Amino acid sequence: MDAVLLESLLGDDARTREESWRYSKIALRALTQQMFVAATAGATLSPQMLERIDLAFTRGRRIVFVNGRYSERHSDLGKAGSDIVIRRQSEQRVTITIAAGSGEPLHLAYVSVAGDSPSLWQASIGIEVQGGHAELIEQHIGENGAEVFGALNSQITLAPQSELHATCWSELADSVSLLLKTNCSVGRAAMYAVTHAHCGGRLQRIESRIDLAGAHAGCRSRGVFALRGRQHTDIHLDVRHKARDTQSNVFWRGVADQRARGVFHGAITVAAGADGADAQLSNKNLLLSPQAEIDTRPVLEIYADEVKASHGATVGQLDETALFYLRSRGVPAAVARALLISGFCREALESIPSAALREYLDAMLQARLPQHGGEA
Amino acid sequence: MLKIDNLHVRVAGKEILKGLSLSVNAGEMHAIMGPNGAGKSTLGNVLAGREGYEITQGSVEYNGSNLLALEPEQRAAAGVFLAFQYPVEIPGVNNTYFLKAALNAQRKQRGEGELDSMQFLKSVREKLRVLHISDELLHRAVNAGFSGGEKKRNEIFQMALLEPKLAILDETDSGLDIDAMKLVADGVNAMRDPQRAFVVITHYQRLLDYIVPDFVHVMVDGRIVESGDKSLALKLEEHGYAWIAERKLAGAA
Repeated sequence: MDAVLLESLLGDDARTREESWRYSKIALRALTQQMFVAATAGATLSPQMLERIDLAFTRGRRIVFVNGRYSERHSDLGKAGSDIVIRRQSEQRVTITIAAGSGEPLHLAYVSVAGDSPSLWQASIGIEVQGGHAELIEQHIGENGAEVFGALNSQITLAPQSELHATCWSELADSVSLLLKTNCSVGRAAMYAVTHAHCGGRLQRIESRIDLAGAHAGCRSRGVFALRGRQHTDIHLDVRHKARDTQSNVFWRGVADQRARGVFHGAITVAAGADGADAQLSNKNLLLSPQAEIDTRPVLEIYADEVKASHGATVGQLDETALFYLRSRGVPAAVARALLISGFCREALESIPSAALREYLDAMLQARLPQHGGEA
Repeated sequence: MLKIDNLHVRVAGKEILKGLSLSVNAGEMHAIMGPNGAGKSTLGNVLAGREGYEITQGSVEYNGSNLLALEPEQRAAAGVFLAFQYPVEIPGVNNTYFLKAALNAQRKQRGEGELDSMQFLKSVREKLRVLHISDELLHRAVNAGFSGGEKKRNEIFQMALLEPKLAILDETDSGLDIDAMKLVADGVNAMRDPQRAFVVITHYQRLLDYIVPDFVHVMVDGRIVESGDKSLALKLEEHGYAWIAERKLAGAA
């Protein structure tokens, strides 16, 4: 890949990048050594893909991007109220303004479609919540084929006292790689609650920077990744408490099987003067095979005086006592394992407000997790 | 039903059971008492099939076949149930789902048909009522955030639902207040049946005021050193375990 292009995808200056890509450098290098061409515009979606973006609970409030380009044909805004305004600077640059969120979900579906040779797409989305309670559903899917590398930059702004519940998930074929960068600025007494679920893909890098910019602003970031094969997922959280009495709650889970590799980097910074901050971080990971690896690194930097902060991170194996408990009740070993693994993941999904969406993602993870003693 | 003969068990290289023998027939209630470290919980875990226990000598026969050759889930399907001393919290796994999976897996192994949801829930509600447990339990994760008493009651509830042939209760009374203990005892007594046997492991005589045993065994240092009827428990309460140890020494001399 063109070095300039790569630089523009990754953004940060080279030195920061080196450190923050520490565990994913090799995976990134292997990927970018291929020749990528710009992904095809107007690619056709297979019936399977069409079915996957058609979620019953978001009909009439769906925006579809195919290879990073706004797709008029597949988007369906029949039931979107006048509170939502969509502006297109270009096909790959869209801003969405939600004047007064009504709690009805807005669905953004990003579909990666393989071309004849490795292809690349980039897109930028701006989302501005001006008030009320907005709900955002961000879905990333991609089918098998030639390599696709998608890079999405999202800029979210929450006005004072507004609230955004976002659910972001990816369910990718192993030939698809994603770089998701989300910057969210949370205004005074506003709340940003996001739940992630990621599985599949060759390389997934999820960067989430959250600025708690106004007093009493809060965020909750929960998420889970479930990996197998040689999948590689790297989660990078960067939460910054910049004002008084701000709250953050980070709760992430990771599962890796076979030769998969997971990375969790959770940084929380409390700036000088951001007194009264409350920062909680918990990250637990489960390794299901001796070849799987997860690196976790919670980083707390505190420059304010009155702060309540806690963090904990673990990497371990399935709890043998719990396994024995289930088996002693008659549950066969393979089923007991599957139950424990899905239970471990499910905890991260508990905060999703919509029961239908929660069940949908639970089923997705179930299908992606090892079911019978570790085979894929 | 159960015949343990000269059982020797090592845990992490250390011999814990040192030639334990015990016979239990259907319909009987056995109590095993003994001081801390005597090996009481090891016995329960070995019978239920927990890993990490090395059987170096002896045998355990259950209904005529070798119990030790079976996997934990096969033992459960064959009717063995262990109420855990420390029931395990399993966040994210719903109680109803777990119980249904357990019951149907057991039925399947026994070649019986699976229960449908209606039959299952009817059975569950009946048993909950007997143990005075709220329906709310069904929507919670297995033991997650339960108090000590709730966990122990949940063990007895699971026993009631799974209807084992041989129930081993490992210090189910420890940590319970008197009201909770009565509920547990009521749950156990309601299940006494000529076809079913119980082995109740306890530290204190108190539970045996409510669950009256047919036989009381005293376990010291990996062996049963004395067996008798319920009056043995009362003597122990009066004299303490030191009394047994002294008698044992006197006998050996």
